[in-house]
Amino acid sequence: MAQHSPEAPIPVEPEIETAHAAEFAGELRRVADALPERINVDARSVEQGLAKLVLTLIELVRRLLEKQAVRRMEGGGLTPKQVEELGLALMKLEEKMRELKGQFGLEDEDLNLDLGPIGKLI
Amino acid sequence: MSLYVYCLGDGLTEAALAGVRGLNDEPARLFGHAGLVAVVSPFGEAPVPVTRAHLLAHNRVNAQALASATPLPFRFGTLTTEERLASYMGARAAGLRAALARVRDCVEMSVKLMRETTAEAPAAPPADAGTAPAGTAFLLAKRRELLGEERERRRAEELAAWLERRTSDLARESEVRVRPSESIVVRAAHLVVRARLADYRERLRALRAERPDLRFLNSGPWPPYSFADADVTASGCE
Repeated sequence: MAQHSPEAPIPVEPEIETAHAAEFAGELRRVADALPERINVDARSVEQGLAKLVLTLIELVRRLLEKQAVRRMEGGGLTPKQVEELGLALMKLEEKMRELKGQFGLEDEDLNLDLGPIGKLI
Repeated sequence: MSLYVYCLGDGLTEAALAGVRGLNDEPARLFGHAGLVAVVSPFGEAPVPVTRAHLLAHNRVNAQALASATPLPFRFGTLTTEERLASYMGARAAGLRAALARVRDCVEMSVKLMRETTAEAPAAPPADAGTAPAGTAFLLAKRRELLGEERERRRAEELAAWLERRTSDLARESEVRVRPSESIVVRAAHLVVRARLADYRERLRALRAERPDLRFLNSGPWPPYSFADADVTASGCE
């Protein structure tokens, strides 16, 4: 076994320092509650899971389209008529998504994909 | 009977673990192979129920190990057999030694930052918002939303950069996550040399005084979860 110099001993119990314990505890509990539970493979859960997956992907694309539309509007590359048509189309898409989420009993948080360094979807 | 695995190291001794009880009050012991040692205890059921008692036991054993030598901690709930653990330790010995060298003589300290919630005045809609047709008004509202999100992201990134500047001389390595859309906007893990722990804690006290607009949650020392790769399950040992 490799020999190394002994490391400096430290106290066994970690310390927690904060002047805002209640706020942090509340936020960390909220994050923990949002974590998915163990996978349940009954038919209803599979259907719900598939709907969630599909709607999450649609939501991702929808939000990308919105951002792209805003960039194009800011860039001056669209006529007022095009801005209006694009805005109406995206508005209807947002409304349709709201309907679909409602049909499957999903909230925005259910589709809030964590994109790692980019942050969350919503 | 499976083995519950807590951590792995090359400087751990039976004396350092004397008396510590793990999950289900089983005594923790060392399992040696390929010049490395894993801290284990017997565990009957799979999967490991996530209970307060089990989480505290997992932490208790790892904290005991950390007190004398920095181990590579395993995720909570790691179960395996002696054969699979030996196979894992043998096959990955070189990589595990490199990982141990990376964290040697260090501990992980955690910093979480939350901004004070202040009621910011919402961005004023543009002058023509009331007269714009529906589609255009929709895009103008989205633009305001995006500008707000970008502003929050910049602020969160500036905060992370400030924390990095003020701790980089005391942290061997850092792992930082920025989450502008959440209450806890910055989550940082610092790998701190044991001998500098008091200096690090003093620095954090100074940072708290420097930024009364922020809420700090500091904790540690922890085993280096954020800087370890000791994933037995990935190798098929579970």
